Amino acid sequence: MHVRKSYLLLGSVAAWIVLARIFNGVNTLQIATYENTSFTSFIGDRAMSLRGNRTHSTIFVYFFNPIRGTIDGFVQGIRNLIAVPAQNSIIPIIGWLGVVALVGFVVFATSQWKTALLAISLLLGCGALGMWQFTMDSIAMTLAAVLLSLAFGLPLGIWAGLSDRVLKIMTPFLDLAQILPTLVYMAPIALVFMIGAASATIATMIYAIPICIRITSHAIRNLNQSPVEASVSMGSTQKQTLTKVQMPMAKQMIVLGINQTVMAAVSFVVVAALIGAPGLGKPVLSALIIRNVGQGFVAGFAVVFLAILMDRSTSAAAKRQDSFIPPTAKDIKRKRITLISTAILAVVSIFVSRTVLWAAVWPKEITIAPQVERFTNDATAWILSNLEIFTIGFKDFISYVILNPLESLLSQSPWYVTVAMIVWLALIIGGGRTAILCFVLAMAIVVSGLWFEAMLTLTQTIVGTLLTMILGMALGIWTGRNDRAERVMRPFLDAGQTLPAFVYLVPMLGLFGPTRFTAIATGIVYATPVVVKLVSEGIRAVPATLVEAATAAGSTTRQIITKVQLPAAKKTILLATNQGLIYVLAVVVIGGFVGAGGLGYLVIVGNSKPELQGKGLIAGAAILLLGVIFDRIMQAGARRSS
Amino acid sequence: MKALFGRRSAVVTVVIAAALILSGCSKSVNNSADAAKTSCGSYAIAMHAWGGYTASAQVVAEIAKKELGCTITQTTLDEGPTTYDAMEAGTIDVVIEDWGGGRWKDWVDRGAVVEAGLNGNVGLIGMYVAPWMAAKYPDITDSKNLNKYASLFKTADSGGKGAWYEGPPGYTTIGEKLVSANKLNFKVIFSGSEAALVDGFTKAEANKTAFIGYAWQPWTLFAKIPNLETGHVKFPANDWTDAAKASGLTDYPSSPLMKLISKKLNDANDPFTTLVKNFSWTNDDQNSVAADIESGSTAAVAAQKWIDANPDKVKAWLGK
Repeated sequence: MHVRKSYLLLGSVAAWIVLARIFNGVNTLQIATYENTSFTSFIGDRAMSLRGNRTHSTIFVYFFNPIRGTIDGFVQGIRNLIAVPAQNSIIPIIGWLGVVALVGFVVFATSQWKTALLAISLLLGCGALGMWQFTMDSIAMTLAAVLLSLAFGLPLGIWAGLSDRVLKIMTPFLDLAQILPTLVYMAPIALVFMIGAASATIATMIYAIPICIRITSHAIRNLNQSPVEASVSMGSTQKQTLTKVQMPMAKQMIVLGINQTVMAAVSFVVVAALIGAPGLGKPVLSALIIRNVGQGFVAGFAVVFLAILMDRSTSAAAKRQDSFIPPTAKDIKRKRITLISTAILAVVSIFVSRTVLWAAVWPKEITIAPQVERFTNDATAWILSNLEIFTIGFKDFISYVILNPLESLLSQSPWYVTVAMIVWLALIIGGGRTAILCFVLAMAIVVSGLWFEAMLTLTQTIVGTLLTMILGMALGIWTGRNDRAERVMRPFLDAGQTLPAFVYLVPMLGLFGPTRFTAIATGIVYATPVVVKLVSEGIRAVPATLVEAATAAGSTTRQIITKVQLPAAKKTILLATNQGLIYVLAVVVIGGFVGAGGLGYLVIVGNSKPELQGKGLIAGAAILLLGVIFDRIMQAGARRSS
Repeated sequence: MKALFGRRSAVVTVVIAAALILSGCSKSVNNSADAAKTSCGSYAIAMHAWGGYTASAQVVAEIAKKELGCTITQTTLDEGPTTYDAMEAGTIDVVIEDWGGGRWKDWVDRGAVVEAGLNGNVGLIGMYVAPWMAAKYPDITDSKNLNKYASLFKTADSGGKGAWYEGPPGYTTIGEKLVSANKLNFKVIFSGSEAALVDGFTKAEANKTAFIGYAWQPWTLFAKIPNLETGHVKFPANDWTDAAKASGLTDYPSSPLMKLISKKLNDANDPFTTLVKNFSWTNDDQNSVAADIESGSTAAVAAQKWIDANPDKVKAWLGK
């Protein structure tokens, strides 16, 4: 059965190539970028009249605009506290020394002194990078988005944890939100809530809330059921069971959910600047514009610092476990004294940061930004001038060997042939239901009028994923089998996951020029860490007995990998591929900024040319449809293989 | 919540509350060092992506801060509708340079955005080849001969045709029309950003590789590649003002650049309104500031240098 399926796949692709050759260039549905279809111009007109109505139509005056006002006010309040001066004032309410002391104290009180020291040095690092105010703006934005996300996410998550029906209703939305590339929903949100902090906060919430709901409901559902049953049988009300038994038991997992919510919000810091969020995204984006790699990295490092700070302080709080040995009276007393004295220190620092200028505004003289900037610029310049021959050669090789043939296969064959082939592949890999879904979604893209561009994006995503998987599998197997390698790679993987893609988009542009491959390479850098981590986990999860048995039977290392570990980890690897695909798709569309064309470019151009905004909105929807097609086929494939 | 986090969270809450109360009571630096108060309020200037824009906006910002005592925020965001929306929402007050030839019409019609006159710069857009090519193949700058050289411009990404690098998304571009109307054997590649074009032209000139791309003036690249103008590929003189109606047979028109302000700033009619309405300077002025920024000085320093060197112009803008 298995062998027959792969032959079937190969045969279909061969047939496809032949068909594409015969019908090359027929019915490709290509239209010029400046052209609208009747559908996209209809959407454009609707969007335009929506813009005109925002100041006086009822739904805006009584619904959307108050929401915008409230969120704006909330964000502004937090910003005034730590980031920007309020009206009639020249410093924020708490100066930098106060913020550092307060963060240090809170982290110390909720976890331990090592984490507190780390948090303090990371904050000072952001200041030294000359990014103090941007960092504070980002913290304020993140804090606002996280608080609001938790306010919605925790109750919804608990509800979904308790009720099967609620979970069933929510699941499709949660799945969808996970696939949604960030670039896609910026424009619709900005259309309704306008450019600014409110839009950015709402966009962040859309990204973060699903994660919060998912983990919280998971935490409630996966509890040991016997204490819950005991509580119910002793006559506790549902509320009592929830607050006295389920919540305390799920506490650690819920705090992990908070941690993930925070990380989602932090990862949004840069993208949010596209719709006017204050914070670290601004210097990153302006570095892209003026092509200053050094400045981009300086700001990028601050983002990474912020991410580590948020991650460590929230996950340390989650991990903190009360020791089984009861603390002695002396221990308690000592702990209490240190806590109180650090509290006093924090309060004094805040006081000082409001009275003395050097403690209020970060002193400009204390900075390493120019050095970091110069070093990165020099390093990049060296790389560019010395490695360009290789990078251009590699780019051309990939372009001629994979990218161009695949692009002409997908985009130059008639649309009905490509649709038929996608549905046929979905049928073989995922089964009937997946095939029907893919047919509907693919037809929706055709009807939208952006089929040709969608095929360009599809090509880039497939090639990017292919290269990501080659790299990710190699590194994943290596780190999965070797603890030392894992330790060496870990910091790079963590940094790769938190460093915003916009930061390395600029050097990629230098290496590969304004081409499709620049987008693909950026996608690879973005997606590889998550693939490596997943593959490595998959390899590690293979029972040691299996590997030992194979070793005892005299298998070589290569045999162990290919015959034992990879087959046993097949499902994880398929999921890693799916994750890689979604990640590559999310970044490939950003490639519209650097000459990659496709749907991403239409989204971007739709934001700046009024006559194309309908097309941009539809392009966003088409990206989402592509993502769902990918996701459904891969998920179904993974389900079937297990 | 207490069940979730235990006693410590209570302690933390108390301390934070105490800190906040205390910070409310304590005498803040604000009171001791009060900002200079003037009749000028606080305004936001949109900061668009290109170097020339930064120069103009920074000069206005520096004068407003130093001479008028305004509180100025500079917000980086996309040109076009995004910015007009922000102006309507009240978060942006000034666009110092808009190339969009009337794309703001809808917003002006409903009173959200007000045209504040021309800024003195004249925008010239065109397609340029790397200057070394113009020297080597003198007839290449006539659009009729482009096809003869198309094969030189072939890359891995151009599908067997010449690669034609088009301008950034927000800019007025008619490349696809030029290519199809003139039956040019080129493929339009949307370079996506100013950065990509700078990169393309600079590398092409340095390595003597073929390149044809979108360029505009005022632009600092013309200072970096002094003979770039020689690479201007000429199409027949233009006959359009609205890019949507361009036939593609003719070249880009030269366009005087527009200043736009928010209704709020227009109504305030304070010294800053006067400054923005009066602001007008030449392409050379803008290039000199933009070139300083490009060569590494901060925007504020570069702007101040120009301000110090041109007190008369500044005075005229302030209406003194």
